[in-house]
Amino acid sequence: MNEKKKRKKKEVRVNLTRRDILTVGVAAAGSAVVAPLITSGPLSPFSGLKQQIIEGQESGHEEHPHGEYHWGMIIDLDRCIGCEYCLRACSAVNDVNPEEPWNIVVDEETSAGVPFFFSRPCLHCQHAPCVEVCPVQATYHREDGLVVMDYDRCIGCRYCEVACPYDARRFNWQAPLYENPYVPTWGVPEVDRRPRGVVEKCTFCIQRIDKGLEAGKMPGVDYEATPACVNVCPVDARIFGDLNDPESEISNIVSENPTIRLREDLGTDPSVYYIPPEEGL
Amino acid sequence: MAETTLPEKKSGISPGYIAWLALIGILILIGLVSAVMVFWKGLVLTNMSDTVPWGLWITIDLSSIALGAGAFTLSAIVYVFGLETFRPILRLSVLVGFIGYTSALLTLLLDIGRPDRFYYPWIYWNVHSVLWEITWCITIYLTILILEFLPTIVEAKIFDRLPWVRKGADILHQATPALALIGLGISLLHQSSLGAAYGIVRSRAIWFKPSMPIMFIVSAVAVGPALTVAIAYVLEWVTGKRTIPHKVLITILKFSGFSLLVYGYIKMWDYLAIAYYGNTQAVSESLSLLNQATPYNFTFWIFEVLLGILVPAVIFLSSRFTRNPALVVLGAFLAVLGIIINRWNVTVSGLFVPLVYSPGMLFRPEPVRYFPNLYEWGLVVGILGYMLLVLTLGVRYLPLFQKEHARS
Repeated sequence: MNEKKKRKKKEVRVNLTRRDILTVGVAAAGSAVVAPLITSGPLSPFSGLKQQIIEGQESGHEEHPHGEYHWGMIIDLDRCIGCEYCLRACSAVNDVNPEEPWNIVVDEETSAGVPFFFSRPCLHCQHAPCVEVCPVQATYHREDGLVVMDYDRCIGCRYCEVACPYDARRFNWQAPLYENPYVPTWGVPEVDRRPRGVVEKCTFCIQRIDKGLEAGKMPGVDYEATPACVNVCPVDARIFGDLNDPESEISNIVSENPTIRLREDLGTDPSVYYIPPEEGL
Repeated sequence: MAETTLPEKKSGISPGYIAWLALIGILILIGLVSAVMVFWKGLVLTNMSDTVPWGLWITIDLSSIALGAGAFTLSAIVYVFGLETFRPILRLSVLVGFIGYTSALLTLLLDIGRPDRFYYPWIYWNVHSVLWEITWCITIYLTILILEFLPTIVEAKIFDRLPWVRKGADILHQATPALALIGLGISLLHQSSLGAAYGIVRSRAIWFKPSMPIMFIVSAVAVGPALTVAIAYVLEWVTGKRTIPHKVLITILKFSGFSLLVYGYIKMWDYLAIAYYGNTQAVSESLSLLNQATPYNFTFWIFEVLLGILVPAVIFLSSRFTRNPALVVLGAFLAVLGIIINRWNVTVSGLFVPLVYSPGMLFRPEPVRYFPNLYEWGLVVGILGYMLLVLTLGVRYLPLFQKEHARS
């Protein structure tokens, strides 16, 4: 008796399930129709909203999509004297909190015990973990290879900080009310301070690159279009330029010198090359 | 109708109940003070830093979502696999799930730097981001939980005068099997992705492994239902009424115990593969650093493995022990504690080990010891108060244990 009842119930249930599967099917088909509408509509992440936010990007290289330039940097560890000018100029021009510099300079030592100085901007990886993990595409690749932030979009989850292998990201734990001791001695701010609650990072001074290109200047060649840290270096330990152009200074130096990139084992493909000290590492 | 807990007749408010509510009020007040302070001054008030950007709050997020896993597991068992025996616990499990997921979202709201942009993952998609997928799944699943629970809410007495609401809920109720099916899929996705959020970070040697998502989901499926059972037992003591047949509860415990063993089994091979056989330089350096400065080994073996897996598994799987509700509640408590300690260990252990990226030999950033401060604990206390409040009100005013009303 009991079993019969159960069986009956089950039959009813099977009917229900079938209908529900139908419902799910219809819903899935519906979503399949709606999804393209959304992805190509104003909700789409590809709608180019972010491009408009960064000044001056419309002109120039929109006509040359995908990789006319690939901005990169060489840091010559053999030349660096550890003066920290790069840190200061960077902090002044980008108005960075002096306690949390984007560009760090530290004392280092080779395996043979020979001292040298190591500095690190953002490496602008071509396979950047931070870009991959950001839930809102607030950090993204530009066509010219730069990894930049949309501070109007960042929600402050700090996953990019967790994922970056190079500790190149800084979160604004509080309102940016700091005094900037590097202004005006080392430069004047060219960009606004970032608000509380977003993550910030080195941009290779995109404001200069973009304005410079617009004015027909070449980043890495012309002073106005080149990152502050590169310009200020007294020993030319930093070289900036277009890695896509085989004739550029940076491409020549990369091909003529032994270079390393940081943690290549992680497959991040950084755009910053280091020339090791003469004694080796 | 002995199975009803609705305080229809003896709805006198006892002094004990008032004291309980007062306690909850204090907890919530503490949480509110912390929340307001953090909103006002910013996350600088916490002990988190650029080196340890995630802390106690992320642990609470992960834990409360994992502990809410009873809802999708039991819903799937009843609606997808058709095991009607477990229907009596369904409403309670959905309520527990609802509490878990809302707690996680509340904590998250405070944890992100820009709470005003909390909905951005819905507008700006990064389909490559695990966290984006998690955000979507969690919000969709919370909606499913609410839809699943609405029919129960409208059965409350207040809706006696609004028959049209009940009619709408009836229609919604028809869709419950479909909701349970979608809920199953979405939960399987995000419960594992929470582990993947760590498992895919290749810069942190002790996170980067494919077992991470698997361990997260299996542990959630194991402990979520056990927590629901423990809450059912506790409610039985408090209300003095047998609400759910013990046979049902014990069967669920068997399921939990077995799942715990599966979790332990995967954890064993994970440990052997990562830390014993594949003892790579990065992993062994990380582990030795952790063990020098933190009680990592102790918490791992004692709280995660012994008290979190083995003891509860023994309790849940032995019919002699499951007959004793006090032991069951103890076992569930230990398993829950094991989950929380595990999520803490995962989060903080990976962040504690400094990133080494310099080509030289000298520059090794100091490990930063992180321990949550009063603001961080304060919010957690408040979240606990919120959990207890929703549970208390739900039990008091909603027909959690009534049989579904007859519908042929």
